[in-house]
Amino acid sequence: MSFLNLILLGGTAAASIPLIIHLLHRSRYKVVPWAAMHLLDPRHRTQKRRIRLENLLLLLVRCAIPLVLALLMARPVLRGMETLLGAARTSTVILLDNSYSMEVGTKNRTSFIQARDTASQIIRNLGRGSEVAVVMMGGVPGPLLDEPTFNTDRADRQLVKLQTGYGSAATPDSLELAVGTLGKMHEAHRELIVVSDFQKVSWTDGEEPERTRVANLMQQLPVKPRVTFLQIGREDKNNVSVQSLDFSRFLLGVGQKFQVRANLKNHGATAYPNLRVYFRVDGQERSASQVSLEPGEDGQVLFTHTFETAGSHVIAVEADVPDVLKADNSFFASVPVWDRLPVLLVNGNPGGGQLDGETDFLEIALRPYSAVKTTLADLITTTVITPNQLDAKQLKDQRVVVLANVPQLNAKQVTALEDFVRGGGGLLIFPGSRIKTDWYNAKFAGDGKGLFPGRLTALEGSLDDSTPHSAILVQHYDHPALTVFNDPRQGNLATATIRLWYKLAEKAGTTTNDAPFVLARLNNGDPFLVEKKFGDGSIIASSVPCSAEWSNLPMRPFYLPLMQQLVTYLAAKFDPPRNVDIGRPLIAVLPAELTGKSLELTDPLGQKHKLTATNAAGRALVHFADTRLPGLYALDAPTNGPVHFVVNTTRAESDLTQLTAEELKTVAKPWDAKIVKSWDEYHELEQRRRFGREIWRPLLWVLLGLIFAELALAQRVGGVKQ
Amino acid sequence: MAGPATILSPTDLRKIANLHVLARQVVEGVCSGLHTSPHKGFSVEFRQHRQYVQGDETRRLDWKVFGKTDRLYIKEYEEETNLRATLLVDASGSMAYAGSGTSKYKYAIQLAACLSYLMLRQADSVGLVTFDKKVREYIPPRSRPSHLQVLLDTLQQTAIGGETELSKVFHQLVPKIHRRGLLIILSDCFGDVPELMKALAHFRHAHHEIIILQIWDPDELEFPFKQWVRFDSLESDTDKRLIDPVQLRATYLENLARFRKELKDGCSRHRIDLVPVTTDKPYAEVLANYLARRMKV
Repeated sequence: MSFLNLILLGGTAAASIPLIIHLLHRSRYKVVPWAAMHLLDPRHRTQKRRIRLENLLLLLVRCAIPLVLALLMARPVLRGMETLLGAARTSTVILLDNSYSMEVGTKNRTSFIQARDTASQIIRNLGRGSEVAVVMMGGVPGPLLDEPTFNTDRADRQLVKLQTGYGSAATPDSLELAVGTLGKMHEAHRELIVVSDFQKVSWTDGEEPERTRVANLMQQLPVKPRVTFLQIGREDKNNVSVQSLDFSRFLLGVGQKFQVRANLKNHGATAYPNLRVYFRVDGQERSASQVSLEPGEDGQVLFTHTFETAGSHVIAVEADVPDVLKADNSFFASVPVWDRLPVLLVNGNPGGGQLDGETDFLEIALRPYSAVKTTLADLITTTVITPNQLDAKQLKDQRVVVLANVPQLNAKQVTALEDFVRGGGGLLIFPGSRIKTDWYNAKFAGDGKGLFPGRLTALEGSLDDSTPHSAILVQHYDHPALTVFNDPRQGNLATATIRLWYKLAEKAGTTTNDAPFVLARLNNGDPFLVEKKFGDGSIIASSVPCSAEWSNLPMRPFYLPLMQQLVTYLAAKFDPPRNVDIGRPLIAVLPAELTGKSLELTDPLGQKHKLTATNAAGRALVHFADTRLPGLYALDAPTNGPVHFVVNTTRAESDLTQLTAEELKTVAKPWDAKIVKSWDEYHELEQRRRFGREIWRPLLWVLLGLIFAELALAQRVGGVKQ
Repeated sequence: MAGPATILSPTDLRKIANLHVLARQVVEGVCSGLHTSPHKGFSVEFRQHRQYVQGDETRRLDWKVFGKTDRLYIKEYEEETNLRATLLVDASGSMAYAGSGTSKYKYAIQLAACLSYLMLRQADSVGLVTFDKKVREYIPPRSRPSHLQVLLDTLQQTAIGGETELSKVFHQLVPKIHRRGLLIILSDCFGDVPELMKALAHFRHAHHEIIILQIWDPDELEFPFKQWVRFDSLESDTDKRLIDPVQLRATYLENLARFRKELKDGCSRHRIDLVPVTTDKPYAEVLANYLARRMKV
């Protein structure tokens, strides 16, 4: 034990005061000649003993009061082994939860602000010369500073600037990063402090093995750190979130009707019978809707919009709800609107009469409004050429190339096509009666390295009606190009009669990213559509021609949506996604003339980033990797106006349920972590760890007890009751 | 020699003058009127003449006056009862305690003087015994008015001191006070209560009526001491006790209550009047109250 105010310990001498007073009174007595001497003696011996004992006890209590008071003022501290620590330097890692659930609270007092202030206090209270690192849990876990620093002031300054809303917490990854950081630090005493709201979704049982693995990693560190879980914020589940947006089209053209379905969820226990939901385009409110959300219920709102100008647009759906977490009340999306989508149709069999040509039906299916000469606009524009005309020049402005019954191509044409697809272009291949299977299998497929996905092994079926025909196998489709056919209103794929088709051989056991995979099959099990990734682009090969030569596909109602879906899907590959998950890079493909130019990207906080466009397959490419912060990013491209990107985070953290006290204890167990709820509690814990436990509080109770005991004893001894 | 006026103030005497001591039981001596004495007309004293009215007994006519004046007068006599009262005054050391006012002993002799004066004025016989460990003075009861002076002189001349042994003294006194009468004990009654009760029973056995005027100093009832006190016994030079009175007060008051209860119960059992008296009250007032109470009986 030691004392913080050692000088005041001298006050213990005051314990002798009651004794001195006692002796002084005893020595300064008055003499009284007395008659009733027989009344002075206690009657029984036990009574005598009791009186003596009570008197002695009273004297002891009176001596103890100043003694305890002096001890109290001297602030005694119980010390164990911690004495050695004292104000020793420590290596501390603060794992700070900056996920968007930390936005809960009032504007100036969110959980994150509390967490940040607490972390700041921790840093300011570190011993002189201590080493500190701050690791952030939200989105993609990362350190606040590049390296742990001994300059705690700098760390504190950086911390104060920190904003929240960095996606959902990646708990095991951030813990691993924190443990790794601790392993690189230098001081003999190490601390890991997790400052979080300990939301249930961020500390799920599913991740428990992963967390335990990281905890074991920590136990194996040469210097085992002390771990503290500092829980910030109180649980308030009253929250509504816009979970996601679904779009009706892959690609959107000017004047095309566009539907957005917003999926909402009420996570709390409050019902919202008339919840207003707003739809905004480029910051302007375009429409509003109402939805009723009971506690725990999901809801959907549909908005329709037609873009009148091409270019990059931003749409937003926002729920006007008075809940505790505002960050998830709106959902943004970047929508590129094209004025046209150029598709090159390579017709391998021009034919003689109307609709005899290989691409005649396809051309109508891709630009139906133009075919019937209505005022409505087609997004897709088509150019039909013969195989001989195909060259790099033809491919320059195209987004998708369709090879329909093309017998074969020369090497130069293949190379041009390969460059086109590698750069993000789409290639759709239909077979036919004229194709040379040997060339397709040998050259075009190129032993798996070429453009053609698979091998054409045999021509199956017969044009003769006596032989059984095949049809497309109807199933639940997961591929984005075919999901529309999960809705029967889009047409039944099984209604087509397929008389002849090529059997495409599948390579068993090929699971790599570039390996071909089957999108749809015929009902005899043979592949119908096969896709293959090639560079940034994709190739889809059909086993059935797009003409009516071998099947009645073009006569079926689903032919038009199927062709449109396949082409727009492939065309969408041309442009890298504008809506990405947190941590994924932003990639913009720009005209080749911007190569080498410096462009400016504005992040959600308004900070500007200078980026340089690089050359990639004849186009200019801009790449930005630091997307830890969700929100809207705008790339200022000089020629085509700004390009918008939206970085989204999963809405898992919208469920604000926190771990219960018991669950938190269970989570803390593998870490041997202490759980505290505030800075004060942490500070007290830290003081106890470093300097021992101050015992003034129990001493205060002892003092109060002694005072009451003195009162009671004095009453009893002095006979005040009587 | 001090006269009655030196002990009794005129005011005090005036307060007592209108009261009568009423004996509770039959005593020896001649009495009439209120008293039911078996000895009738033993002592008859002429009081006054009154003119004869019709209906008066003719045997009570004073023929000598008739012979001289030729008028009929009736002779009237003073009626009286002879009460043999003995005042037993405790002169032991314990009676010397004075507290902040009169000592218990002084208070006792003042009360004794009052009683003597009152009873002698009524032609009762009054005797006096002063005692501590033994009988120091014994004056047998007399009814002469001049006897008062003897009594008062004795009271004043009695020096205080010595231990008390009430029971022993009272046993010794029983054969001396052979005619039954009223015993008025003025004492603090400190001592062994059972032994005292035995002695008092001895008196009662001899048909004496007993009144105990128990003299208390207020200090003895309240124990008001705060500082440390050395209590020196008034009856023994060797008995000295250094005590923190605050701590002892509860025990003292407990002992006091028990002592008073024992005494009260004992007196009640033997039909003895126990009258506690504190020295801070005017003695005459206490005496007047007591006599008024006896009159009602």
